Amino acid sequence: MTYDAVIGLEIHVELNTPTKLFCDCPNRPGDPPNTHICPACLWLPGALPRLSRAVVEKAVTACLALNCTVQKYSAFDQKVYYYPDLPKGYQLSQHHRPLARNGFLNIDTETGELKRLRIHHIHLEEDVAKLVHETEGRTSVGLVDFNRAGTPLIEIVTEPDIRTPEEAVAFLKRLLTRIRYTGASECSLEKGSMRVDANISIRPKGSDVFNTKVEVKNMNSIQHVKDAVAYEIQRQTELMEKGTPIVLHTRLWDPEKQATLAMRGKFAGPCVPDPCVPAIEVDDAWLAGKKAALPEMPDLRQERFVTGFGLALDEARAISRERDVADFFEAAADAGAHPRKAANWIISQLVPALKELDLTLSRVPLTPERFATLIRLLDADEINGAAARTVLVKMLSQDQPPEALVDAHGFRQVSDTRALEAIAEKIMADHPSDVQDYRSGNPKVMGFFMGRAMKAAQGKANPKRMKEILIRKLSQ
Amino acid sequence: MESSVFSFTPSPSDHPVENALRVAVQPNMSCRGWPADAGSKALENYTALEDAFVIAQLKQANAVIAGTTCMSELGFGLVNDTGARAVTEDLADAALITDYIGESRAAAAKAGIFGFKPSWGRMSRRGLAGLVPSMETWGITARRVSEIRQIMQMVCVFDDQDFSMRPEPLPDFDLSRSFQNQAPVIGVAQGYEQRLNPNEARAWNTALSALKTAGCEIRPVHLPDPGLFSLAHHIIAAVEASSSAGKYDGVRYGHRTDACADWNQMYLKTRGESFGTLIKTFLFQGAYFQFQQYEAFEQACRARGKLMDQTLTALADLDGIAGLTLGEHSDPPAAQTIEDIYEGFGFTLPANLTGLPAVHIPGLARHGRKDFGVHIMGKLFKDPDLLALARFLETVTSKAGAA
Repeated sequence: MTYDAVIGLEIHVELNTPTKLFCDCPNRPGDPPNTHICPACLWLPGALPRLSRAVVEKAVTACLALNCTVQKYSAFDQKVYYYPDLPKGYQLSQHHRPLARNGFLNIDTETGELKRLRIHHIHLEEDVAKLVHETEGRTSVGLVDFNRAGTPLIEIVTEPDIRTPEEAVAFLKRLLTRIRYTGASECSLEKGSMRVDANISIRPKGSDVFNTKVEVKNMNSIQHVKDAVAYEIQRQTELMEKGTPIVLHTRLWDPEKQATLAMRGKFAGPCVPDPCVPAIEVDDAWLAGKKAALPEMPDLRQERFVTGFGLALDEARAISRERDVADFFEAAADAGAHPRKAANWIISQLVPALKELDLTLSRVPLTPERFATLIRLLDADEINGAAARTVLVKMLSQDQPPEALVDAHGFRQVSDTRALEAIAEKIMADHPSDVQDYRSGNPKVMGFFMGRAMKAAQGKANPKRMKEILIRKLSQ
Repeated sequence: MESSVFSFTPSPSDHPVENALRVAVQPNMSCRGWPADAGSKALENYTALEDAFVIAQLKQANAVIAGTTCMSELGFGLVNDTGARAVTEDLADAALITDYIGESRAAAAKAGIFGFKPSWGRMSRRGLAGLVPSMETWGITARRVSEIRQIMQMVCVFDDQDFSMRPEPLPDFDLSRSFQNQAPVIGVAQGYEQRLNPNEARAWNTALSALKTAGCEIRPVHLPDPGLFSLAHHIIAAVEASSSAGKYDGVRYGHRTDACADWNQMYLKTRGESFGTLIKTFLFQGAYFQFQQYEAFEQACRARGKLMDQTLTALADLDGIAGLTLGEHSDPPAAQTIEDIYEGFGFTLPANLTGLPAVHIPGLARHGRKDFGVHIMGKLFKDPDLLALARFLETVTSKAGAA
């Protein structure tokens, strides 16, 4: 028998607001432990939560980017359970009245079809503290870092519309790209600003029943999600075929073992309306303003880059994936860079260089105008590709225009015909037998002449002009 | 004598202003650097890190915080509470008592002084380590209405960190209405007297006569069954208490049990050792509704909304709704079980459920040697008017007493 997988995702996204959800402590969970805490996020007796307006604004923007309907009224509930990372015995979340409902994202499936995957709802909630297990010494101890307690999260809950690991990956990529565009979060699974749980069940192909699902956690990259979902589908298929019933529980993905391992029974505690946090009422005019201020989303931008700048679809897709890169490209093109050449250099040179140096465009002195100038220099054969690459990397750390760096390092190409002819004539005079060889019909010797010429010009010869001159002279 | 009233008093050097208003507080009302165990082992040795908003306002207005009185565990009920005694023994001009179900008014009734609960949202709750967030307020007890008005004037300042406060101009308690030229209109629930036992009914008739003699117009009004108020209060308060007490886990402060095999055992043992029977029972009841009878909790919330609507409608053309403060057999300070609590505070709890201001007026409803007290609920956020009415009736009482 063949089976279909039924997959729903629960995605926690950490919002990058300056402060936490219910207090003014900095939202920097990675700082030294317990340096960003106050009576409110420690929930000391008498402390009251104060809802952050900035969090609500960022959350609403993210909801709009995921095509959700922001609810007129939403409210917080207490999700009651006990755990040492939860300093008050309940987590503030929106169970009964979430911030937004009924969203969707379109993905391209493996077969090239467009598929709409629905989002059931998005709710706001606070993150819990971080537990650190200290095992050195005679007695192991559990330490609690409250920096993360109360940092703002949105949880995106999809409908069970996903059928394959590849669809899950496509959905996540589309989702994180759009949220990053809004500036609400970095959405990095690797850095922990995005966490994905998958609910997976299987059923006979063609059936429309929903069987018992299993929750899978601890997937720290997109690849982990793909591998874990694929593993879990296979595991459940084998159980089904053996006639072993599938039990509702949570499993953890172990990337080393490449397997999901049983963790615990699924928690199902009560959610009680919270009397201490104000309900959120969204004003129509305010929401209209937020919709109007939403940045152009990557799929639309991709289309515009194809039609407006003449980029190939793949180039446009790659360039529009990150908002800062797309903004940079557009500004460079506006500053006069040839669009396709600029796009190619951004994709093949600039983005990899930034990644290698662990930098972002906002943290380097390189401006789109300087980049456009570099592309123009390259286009005009003033410098060659190797020099352009070197200058580009230098502009990531040095606040100087490309011309200055080209001149300072002597990168400007020799395009002067007389100088290049002199080089060609000297090489031909030094290697008469090779000249004879070429003239006898062996074109491969051209590579030898070009190598000698570039060496003689100390790499600064304009290779296109040099080759033209050599061909002309050898043919005489 | 003093030491049995106060659980903590500051050193004399902390009394900077002579003839200032002396206010006794409870150890769940945060005073920076003072012990704040809220009468519970769960907060054993806990010291407040900062002043509660209300305490800060009192200090700014040059009131003196006289000390912390003894209190029932987490302020629920009045067992061991000495707040009113601080006033009657002249150790303070006023005592603040946490009011979840009527504690401040019942304590005042037992002590023969005035007790007042403001509208929910009129005083900032920041720094009040409470148990029932949607009902709790700081209650005020004093010998005279003037001290209550004085305190209200000091502390009714908008706190933008407490969302329950209404962002509107704050009342001036000195400019509230006077009843000298226009008689108060007091509502009484239809059939109220039939719900009282003979002695209560006699006390109530005494009160009605006094009110009428003072010129009050008594008007019968339709009000919901009082049993519904009690039931809704019980379910909702227990659920909120169960959540509120969740933070008392012994991890960051308070009592913590000796080493256990795992954290789960640590929680169970710590919490088992931290709370007394009354609170444990209440928290269990709350957890029961949270985990097992959530539907009943939802029904209680819906009922609360209707009860509020009906009460507000009844109050529309009135200055207040009156009844007795205590029943003949209710003895709130002795209430040691949940049943006793709901029996003892049955007349005062509707004001907590609805968030309305309420005042206890002594001396008007006597029968024999017992003063049952008159309890009046006012309009939401019309606290100054209710205190003006209390002042008017205080004058009547003192004239009657003088006569």
